[in-house]
Amino acid sequence: MSSVAAANKQLPMVGMGQIVMVTQPEVARAVLGSCIGVTLYHPRARVGAMAHIVLPRSSGRTGPPGKFVNTAVPHMIELLEDAGAKVFGMVAKLAGGANMFKATGPMQVGTANIAAVRELLSELGIRIAGEHLGGAKGRRVTFDPVTGDVIVEIAGETQVVL
Amino acid sequence: MIEEHLVDPSLSLFNQLFAAATRSASSAMSRWTSGEIMLTLDEVRDIPLEEVVGELDMGFDLLTMVVLTLEGDLSGQLILTFDEENGRRMAASLLNRDVNTDPQWSALEQSALCETGNILGCAYINVFTDLLDQELVPSPPMFIQDYGASVLEQSIMSQAVTSERVIICRTRFSREGQELDWNVFFVPSQTLLERLERAIESSNENN
Repeated sequence: MSSVAAANKQLPMVGMGQIVMVTQPEVARAVLGSCIGVTLYHPRARVGAMAHIVLPRSSGRTGPPGKFVNTAVPHMIELLEDAGAKVFGMVAKLAGGANMFKATGPMQVGTANIAAVRELLSELGIRIAGEHLGGAKGRRVTFDPVTGDVIVEIAGETQVVL
Repeated sequence: MIEEHLVDPSLSLFNQLFAAATRSASSAMSRWTSGEIMLTLDEVRDIPLEEVVGELDMGFDLLTMVVLTLEGDLSGQLILTFDEENGRRMAASLLNRDVNTDPQWSALEQSALCETGNILGCAYINVFTDLLDQELVPSPPMFIQDYGASVLEQSIMSQAVTSERVIICRTRFSREGQELDWNVFFVPSQTLLERLERAIESSNENN
């Protein structure tokens, strides 16, 4: 476990469909499977948010904004703007989107989540500064708004810092 | 939508079904372990999506798991989770060997636990098959060492597509009366949930 995560062990995780604004010295954490963890961060304003997104698009379905890519990302931007950050200069880091059981078939949620979030961030002109996506294993992610780092841990592998 | 009709009366129906399935699984497990391990239904929960991982104490830790997937229209996942120590002891007991201290699980140990998952899964599935009068097809068991929350997240995806809440059955294990840090989670798809609910209601009306 990273030192950052260990030092903040009591902090709650970002649950499925949730968006959390993170201010120093807190960290945000999530455990991801096929869901996608999106962090938006403004390096100059030093504010960030993490979303634990479940599905690619709402398509008229109700639910918390953090559940769908097309509602979560705009909501995160609003939260960051309210905290004084401008869209210009925001960067994104992405993790998750795994296919845990190596399932086959036309609808792979992890893959669909990855495609949807990349497409939307491109439309919004937000640069993806780092990503760790796909595969067949879960990820434990920790977002530190002091540095903007996203630490990605996978069972049996060396941790990666985005 | 699942939340429109799977309210408390439905949970009661599912409790009735899963209790029967757990009794069947417990008998199978008792035979498999020479009477050592028993199961009891812990709860059938209707949980908000964002609270699933926290409510079920899945935490941030790595777990050893055996996963069986029901394939086809009536899909779902059965996840057997256990801590390292008890999983190792279980494998050693089944293999009639000393507990392995090698960090890597041997193929034989993995096989022993997969077979345990298979026996449990088939016991559950047989009860559902009898009720539905339709064959359910489980995948071969998969041995997984991963974050429990990641695996559970993938399992509840089919319910999450149409609902903000998920229904999960959790079963606990005991060895000679002492609770073990093992669980079985059964996560049916929404289609399977609805079919099971209708079948239980129909069965109750006929009895």
